[in-house]
Amino acid sequence: MRPLALIFGLCLGLTALAAPKKEAKKAAMPVIKAVVAPAAPVASLADITPIWHEWTDKEGRKINARFCGLTGDFITLQTRDGRNYHFKIDILTPEDVAFAKSCVELARRTNSFSPAVIASAAADIDRLVGAVLAANKQQPNALATDAQFLRRLYLDAAGRIPTAQEAEAFLGSTAPDKRAKLIDEVVFSSGYSMQMFNWMADLLRVKDTFAKGVPAFTFEDWLKTRLAANAPWDKMVFEMMTADGRLSDNGAAGFMLFDAEMPLDGVSNLMTTFLGTNMACAQCHDHPLADWTQRDFYQMAAFFGATDGKDEAILGAINKIAKADSTLPKGSLKKIADMNAYRLDDANKQKLTFPKDYKYSDAKAGDPVLPELIAWSKADKSLPIYKVSTKQPEQLRDEFARWLTSPQNPRFAANIANRIWKKAFGLGVIEPVNDIDDLAQASSPELMSHLTFVMKAAKFDLREVQRVIYNSKTYQAAASDTPDLGTDKYLFNGPLVRRLSAEQVWDSLVVTALGNYADNVHLRRGEDMKSMALPPGKVTLAEVKNAIDRSRKALGAKGAGGGKSSGGSTIGLATGYDGAKPVNRFSLMLARASELPQPSSESHFLRLWGQGDRLLADSATNDGSVPQVLQMMNGAVAKLVADVRSDAVMQAAKAATPEKQVTSLYLSYLSRKPNSRELGAASQSLQDGLALTDLAWVLANTREFLFVQ
Amino acid sequence: MSILHTASLLRHPADRRSFLEKCAKVSFGLSVLPFFTRIAEAAETPGAVKAPNAGLPGFGKAKRVIFLQLNGGMSHIDTFDPKTGASKGPGSIVSAKGDMQLTSYLPETAKVSDKITVIRSMTAKVGVHASAAYLMRTGFEQRGSVQHPTLGAWAQHFLGTSHKTLPSSVTVNRTANHGNGWFPAAYSPLPILNPTDGLLDTKSPVSEETVAKRTGLLAQLDAGFGGKVADESVKAYNEFYEATFQLMQSRDLKAFDLAAETAETKARYGKSKFGQGCLLARRLVENGVRFVEVAHGGWDMHATLDDRMEEVGGDFDRVYAALLQDLDSRGLLDSTLVVVASEFGRKPTFEGGGRGHHPLVFSTVLAGGGVKRGFVFGASDEKGYAPAANGVSPGSLHATIAHAAGLPVQTDIITPAGRPMQVGNKAAPQTAIFA
Repeated sequence: MRPLALIFGLCLGLTALAAPKKEAKKAAMPVIKAVVAPAAPVASLADITPIWHEWTDKEGRKINARFCGLTGDFITLQTRDGRNYHFKIDILTPEDVAFAKSCVELARRTNSFSPAVIASAAADIDRLVGAVLAANKQQPNALATDAQFLRRLYLDAAGRIPTAQEAEAFLGSTAPDKRAKLIDEVVFSSGYSMQMFNWMADLLRVKDTFAKGVPAFTFEDWLKTRLAANAPWDKMVFEMMTADGRLSDNGAAGFMLFDAEMPLDGVSNLMTTFLGTNMACAQCHDHPLADWTQRDFYQMAAFFGATDGKDEAILGAINKIAKADSTLPKGSLKKIADMNAYRLDDANKQKLTFPKDYKYSDAKAGDPVLPELIAWSKADKSLPIYKVSTKQPEQLRDEFARWLTSPQNPRFAANIANRIWKKAFGLGVIEPVNDIDDLAQASSPELMSHLTFVMKAAKFDLREVQRVIYNSKTYQAAASDTPDLGTDKYLFNGPLVRRLSAEQVWDSLVVTALGNYADNVHLRRGEDMKSMALPPGKVTLAEVKNAIDRSRKALGAKGAGGGKSSGGSTIGLATGYDGAKPVNRFSLMLARASELPQPSSESHFLRLWGQGDRLLADSATNDGSVPQVLQMMNGAVAKLVADVRSDAVMQAAKAATPEKQVTSLYLSYLSRKPNSRELGAASQSLQDGLALTDLAWVLANTREFLFVQ
Repeated sequence: MSILHTASLLRHPADRRSFLEKCAKVSFGLSVLPFFTRIAEAAETPGAVKAPNAGLPGFGKAKRVIFLQLNGGMSHIDTFDPKTGASKGPGSIVSAKGDMQLTSYLPETAKVSDKITVIRSMTAKVGVHASAAYLMRTGFEQRGSVQHPTLGAWAQHFLGTSHKTLPSSVTVNRTANHGNGWFPAAYSPLPILNPTDGLLDTKSPVSEETVAKRTGLLAQLDAGFGGKVADESVKAYNEFYEATFQLMQSRDLKAFDLAAETAETKARYGKSKFGQGCLLARRLVENGVRFVEVAHGGWDMHATLDDRMEEVGGDFDRVYAALLQDLDSRGLLDSTLVVVASEFGRKPTFEGGGRGHHPLVFSTVLAGGGVKRGFVFGASDEKGYAPAANGVSPGSLHATIAHAAGLPVQTDIITPAGRPMQVGNKAAPQTAIFA
């Protein structure tokens, strides 16, 4: 514990807090010179939720800081310059202790931010971004047009472009707060969850199968369910990290089981995904470019040293049954063996040892590793969450998860806040998003700090954080061209122009073909998978036969239509759709990307356009290629677009004049009305022998269709 | 930035930085940015991209590479490394051209073995199919935290694109499986899953007249956004569209069309998917594709090895011999390296009519691209259990191929994750196999 006087000295800005671990190594950032403090107090989040407060300690000293949280006896405060402070609450006056506790109570009672809180937190973003821009003699971009905002918001929050009707409704509205209203409408639509699934699937490496073809459908179902419930990120991560049992018992186990065969890689992956810490190098040797040592890595990995992902005894027992009865179908047996053998279980012994080729003097090769959490600065270690118990090996994973997902964790909130920001703007405040060890590398550390604060204030409710971002003028500004990051950091004059993600292109094409019908097509395949689960402890011939019968019944109906395509398994696809079914056209199954195999097969449109293979986190790309263009011009998708059954074409055909027809197609594809030149050229082409289907093809092949402004 | 200009720009270090910066902006996966910035800086240092292996025998002789992947684990003892005694398989040992011994399962290969170099001392530790295949394909052991590139992507990084309209890398009978590794997605091989189908979607489903009207209108309507927005990635798509228009009208498209081959040639390669795939590979390298992978399955012979060798081995034997003869008769073999690689060998002992996985020693075969003709490098021990001399790791095999292709081996590049990496994973090339 730091002496009290020092804390208050720091809070008052008299001296600098212990420098972050790496700050000394890297040169100070040239871009950010100074952040101009607001001349007058700006209405902020803290003014509305009573968390800005003048705190007084028992010796009568005061600081002005916002309340960030209370964990046990420790309070976290943040001063206006964005610095966080953690200290034992009992140094404060009894009144302030009570006040802190009332803040916690109030926060618990509030599920989502009020419009005023949203507006205030969004204004804080604009203020912080504006200050950095001004300090660098730059201007924010002008406000985007309604049409640009509309299309961007639909793509970012619903994962697809709006239909012509949706576009017209917004563009035609004269309500002064129509943008805020649209934001609330879209983030609470079913498209929102589908969009979040696509985004998270890339981050969490959601794959239909892991290991050698073990189906992971219950993991996908779990994720969809949690997203539909808008479960907070910290809760979801905690559930994934602490899941026990088989996938049939708990879908959340899918995240950890993915790396069951390679647990060390699993640790490296989860550090990147949840903390933005890249420790992959330290797996084999001290990190050459960062401070992580191989010892650091092993000490972290030891938290998983008692966790086992595969039950060899069950595999052996099923193998014996297979040998005893050769009439049992081999394929089904393998599936049943895998489904029951892969499970998360914690033993009462931590087994990880330093590797045989360990070459550093701080530990001996082959010695058992003692679990220890990494820290980014010396001060981190004094946080209460660092006091974890490592005495009970079977509790190690839970202890780790508590540390990982705590608001006190030095990177957990910043990591997800930065990733959510990138989702909206096309660029993280810190890049790359998978390496945020040094927060000083942020293009604006103050903005990073604010976003982290909003994330914690929203209690990791990603929808709330996105509502805040979408309501900011910074988000609603016109888009910037791709900046040259080789020379300067991008200071967020507005979002970036960028190509739609593979999922956004696909889902938008599905919308033009079917209208918003596909938003109601939901794929859930986990229940079929559960039929293969054996009763706990009963690996007998009779139970195995029962499981085979059950799975045959579950999958039987779709045996003919299911089958395997290269890449993703389509087992259960045909009957996995509850309620509305996907429409088939030109051999394309028209469902949203989230309701198709994960990921789609390698020859599918989605993969060609950059859907990730999900072998690593963040594997999606938006690179261009000639085969993509061939598909858009000549492939099945081109036929889908230039089809008389297309919803966009049918809507246009209803219009009375060629001009209105053109306008309707423009709204369908580009979410805006044509200008007079475009209207003239397109209408003329309809006179010159082109049909509406041809015009649809033309609009789908414009660069404007592929990009979000 | 189009991929079209890559080759020329990469050869001029002065242009390289601006190119790489543009390239990084285009492939806006953004994680590539630090990488390209660092490489660009390295490239400005004189000699930084010079190949330390440039003066060694065989450097740069292979202008093209055909990489045949025999999936399942080819039994070295029953093919290119025959043994007597307890290890001997059902096939007999025959004396083949080029003063080497092969088994009777490879009668056609025996007629062209004076064109090949057999490495009988490949050695690795991985005995699991997927991981071992990954190792043989990339030269790196599989990790959950990084995807390593194939040689085609490495070559594109160091040498630029190999043709102005055709892709630089193609996979045949297999998916691309992230072959670009940490390089931009544009370096990923173009997958041809069915060689007789060739490249899909090159023809418009509507009449030429309609295509002309559509594209005419497209040019007008795209003038507002596509024509005015200065964003590099928008420009890149303008160029992809331009490149696609060119490709659709290009004669180079014929490279993907097996219909252009004579009936006689098609018959020589045989009707099997592997045969047609190898014929496509020849057409592709002939037309300017630098790196082609062709997959051949069915080598996991745990049981009925005798029958499977007749069937699977026989298919390989006929096609492989036809490919080498065809390339040689066209004068392409000296500049085309043909690699036969399998993820591991098989055990000297029999178990239930077949052999188990055996990575400790196995064989790989090279032909063309400057390697010696009729040569055996390294040896396994008497049983075919372990290397007896000149052990060659998969990394070293990759370094050898990279060396033949004119890439700098044992030279660091920095990946997007900031990790220094080398083609062939730091291993040295086996220069003794080059003529």
